[in-house]
Amino acid sequence: MNILIPHPWLLEHLDTKTQPEKIRELVSLCGPSIERIYEREGENVYDIEVTTNRVDSMSIRGIAREVAVILDQFGEQAKLKKLTLPKISQDQDVNLPLPKITNDQTLCKRITCVVLDQVKRTPTPDWMAKRLVQTDMNVHDSVIDITNYITHELGHPCHAFDYDKLMKTGGEIIVTTAKKGEHFATLDGNEFKTVGGEVVFKNGQGEIIDLPSIKGTANTSIDESTTRVLLLLESIVAQKVRFASMSHAIRTTAAQLMEKNVDPNLIMPTLELGVKLYQELCQAKVASAVYDDFPNQNPTQPIATKLETINNYLGVSLEEDVIVTILEKLGCEVLRKDKDKVIVVTPPTFRPDLEIAADIVEEIARIYGYHRLPSKLMDTAIPLDKPKHTNFEVENRIKHFLVDRGWQEIYSYSLVSEVLAGQSGYPLENHLKLQNPLTEDRVYLRRSLIPSLVEVIEGNPLEKQLAVFELANVYHPDAKQKLPTEELHLTLVTLRNYREARGVVEALLRQFFIENLEIDETGQILIEESKIGEVRQESNLIAIDIVIAKLLPLIKKHPTYEPITKTSFIAEDITLTLLESVAVGKVIKTIKNQSPLIEKVELIDQYQQNYTFAIKYHDPSKNLSNTDIEPVREKILTSVANMVVKNV
Amino acid sequence: MPMTIDELKQKIEALTNELQSQKALTETVKNQYLGKKGHFNILAKVIAQIDNQDKKVAGQLLNELKLKLENHFSNTTSKKQTKQIDFTLPGLPQDVGHLHPISQAMEEITNIFEKVGFTRVRYPEVDWDWYVFESLNMPPSHPARDEWETFFVDAPEPAHDLTYDAKEPRKRHPSLVGGKMVLTTHTSNGQVREMERLKNPPIRMINIAKCYRRQQDATHTQMFHQFEGLVVDKGINIQHLKGTLDYFAEQFYGPGTKSRIRPFHFQFTEPSFEVDFSCHICGGTGKKNGEKCKFCKSGWHEVGGAGMVHPNVLKAGGIDPEIYTGFAFGWGVERTYTLKEGLNIDDIRLLYSGDLRFLRQF
Repeated sequence: MNILIPHPWLLEHLDTKTQPEKIRELVSLCGPSIERIYEREGENVYDIEVTTNRVDSMSIRGIAREVAVILDQFGEQAKLKKLTLPKISQDQDVNLPLPKITNDQTLCKRITCVVLDQVKRTPTPDWMAKRLVQTDMNVHDSVIDITNYITHELGHPCHAFDYDKLMKTGGEIIVTTAKKGEHFATLDGNEFKTVGGEVVFKNGQGEIIDLPSIKGTANTSIDESTTRVLLLLESIVAQKVRFASMSHAIRTTAAQLMEKNVDPNLIMPTLELGVKLYQELCQAKVASAVYDDFPNQNPTQPIATKLETINNYLGVSLEEDVIVTILEKLGCEVLRKDKDKVIVVTPPTFRPDLEIAADIVEEIARIYGYHRLPSKLMDTAIPLDKPKHTNFEVENRIKHFLVDRGWQEIYSYSLVSEVLAGQSGYPLENHLKLQNPLTEDRVYLRRSLIPSLVEVIEGNPLEKQLAVFELANVYHPDAKQKLPTEELHLTLVTLRNYREARGVVEALLRQFFIENLEIDETGQILIEESKIGEVRQESNLIAIDIVIAKLLPLIKKHPTYEPITKTSFIAEDITLTLLESVAVGKVIKTIKNQSPLIEKVELIDQYQQNYTFAIKYHDPSKNLSNTDIEPVREKILTSVANMVVKNV
Repeated sequence: MPMTIDELKQKIEALTNELQSQKALTETVKNQYLGKKGHFNILAKVIAQIDNQDKKVAGQLLNELKLKLENHFSNTTSKKQTKQIDFTLPGLPQDVGHLHPISQAMEEITNIFEKVGFTRVRYPEVDWDWYVFESLNMPPSHPARDEWETFFVDAPEPAHDLTYDAKEPRKRHPSLVGGKMVLTTHTSNGQVREMERLKNPPIRMINIAKCYRRQQDATHTQMFHQFEGLVVDKGINIQHLKGTLDYFAEQFYGPGTKSRIRPFHFQFTEPSFEVDFSCHICGGTGKKNGEKCKFCKSGWHEVGGAGMVHPNVLKAGGIDPEIYTGFAFGWGVERTYTLKEGLNIDDIRLLYSGDLRFLRQF
């Protein structure tokens, strides 16, 4: 949450001569981050990021309190001014009954109100309008703007009811939860139906007359004719506020504050400031006593904190006095128990975020100054237990090898459109789907990288020889109530020819001492009979897809050395005209199987159906002669006889 | 008509003498001697006329002659024939691919942290809500969850009546009650998972992974990458976090880069910090050549979040917060990388566009 704080408004609560730039620098180091200083209406306005746990800083006064402590720590003169507001007393000449209020303490911690009569509809004075503009609030007229102004100044939201309308609905406020399906309309005219469980104000007839701490309803809100106001502040339980606000997507400033536990003790000063302004600006008269139902004063729990814990977190030893002083400046009560060992800290009521010792450590450390702590690396033991089943080094080597061979690495989205999911090779309904996708092209968790990479190639139509790859997870749904299987794939897609693509994969595998890669006629990629992936032909594209988990167990870190042979080999080329129905892989395998003397069969040339194979004969025990080869050659030609048209 | 060895010797000598008298050592002359129909081949044919018993000796003599001839010409002709290469010729273009910038950044980050004993890990990208939020001290419907624009997986969630209890965070562990599946909004789901993997400190983890959030503009993509550090042991304190951040800043951005931590709030760390790195363009001064540095906000860059691991998170990971403390930090790979000097990437959507005109530049 960000809050805008005009510097002169801040100075109404803070005594300091420190300049805005300096304030920005110092406060950002130890407190909320002052992100920018704007110049608005000729004055400096701070734009401050307040973290969600520090709703106490979401006001002029809250920021002033923080700034005072921090500036003081840096030796700058700064003091929080005392807040003095006149006590509310009923005017003698007017008397209007308060509505009958029935509270439920489990839903609402405090409820406080007062009736104002003879409220003049005066325009918002310039000084107030200026501040509203500076802080991005709309200007209406005094009756409405006072409520926003006092919320910004002191931090507790409030609501001005039209007193006459409220009395007309029965003059009763019952704090209760809504059932499912009840109707209400907010003051801007939008209609809603309850989901059940929202905290609402109802009248005696069970009609909803307010959505407290979130937004007023049309039936009791101020309109142009309003002259009597019931100024009411209540403290609905934070989770309940959040539930109703989120359920109906009504995210008002009030709701965003109240769902974060605003201190109900702020109610009285806010009401007093409000009444003072209604009297001054609208000549309003106080027509009732103040109604205040606040049975439980919202005490905070004391936190016993070991000094040792504090010093362990900081890595330096702070004197007990230093620690206590910091905490007291922040409004905590500190009880020194067991000298130099334990302190018992009771946070102020506006700091419900302080709950455990680590919270106390944070307060001390930030005010003492993180910048004052030394910086050093750990001297503790290094863990040696590495995760199994992943090998980041192999992943990096794969990437570097392919890149060096001229392949481009791609990162594409794991989330794909319905069309792309449909091209994965799995039925669409067997994909994981998002419940709340942001855009139509990112709805399904992909089960194949191929469609994404094909899309990349199609998106670069000028690249005629494009070769791309990606190393990323695919997501296979598992049984209900099991996480999907995330499977790391290496996928290559290219416009280059098949032999080139396959050659790169073969060379890649040789980096890991894997020699005997086979691809069968259906495209299954096999290493010693076990499948590690597959090849697919996508019109003019070749896609090769390898499952890394299948590859990892086959990878070797080094080869097995074979003694360098002392006998020579014989090489010869043989050209065969193959029948079109014959798979070349089968021919090579057939030739290879004819004799143990055949060490290697390689396809070295192809023209139409003529394939030239280089055959290498070798016998480690003796030098081969032509007479040794002759019968083998005969055997080869016989074995492929049914695969060839004729031999050349 | 048979020929004797002596006659052969004479012929060879004659040929050798003739060779000595040859002045020109051109390709043509070489052919006259060693070509298909050259003197040597003609002479070699006489071997058929030699007695069988002398054939071996004749063969040796002829071989010697051939070597002599070859030596004679190799020493001279080849050098004279070679044309001077034009060194100004352009090189033949080679196919070179490019490692994706995210891979480059991830590799660099991994190397930096591995040098100081961190172990790189990988955890699910589709994970239980429990690991992503609840175990990180964010009970269901906590307002802090709003900051993460979470994608939910469309899958049924089993009903149970165990309510959240910060004191017993493992009560609702997904292995016991199942849960809701989400796309990881941050790498912090790795914190409790790493505690579960190792069971006992020391922990020094670096988790780099894809993350997903429901947002999209020039500085946000629905998918992005984060890295997360986690250190847990006895006596780990804020100084160690500062030391680690300073070390990384200097290694990644260059000597002299400093880190700074400022107060912030995360549910899963206490105290929590915002992490800034000093601007390496202006040296952290906010000014360059007397003008305001265009690259940074007043000398510093906000890069991410950090903090001391919240006791409830240690508990959720089965580690006793009375004995151990730890720190964690995490931020976007894209953000960290694009801060590098002179990179000038103003729209991170380009990274995932698959546009070769962009990717080829890396």
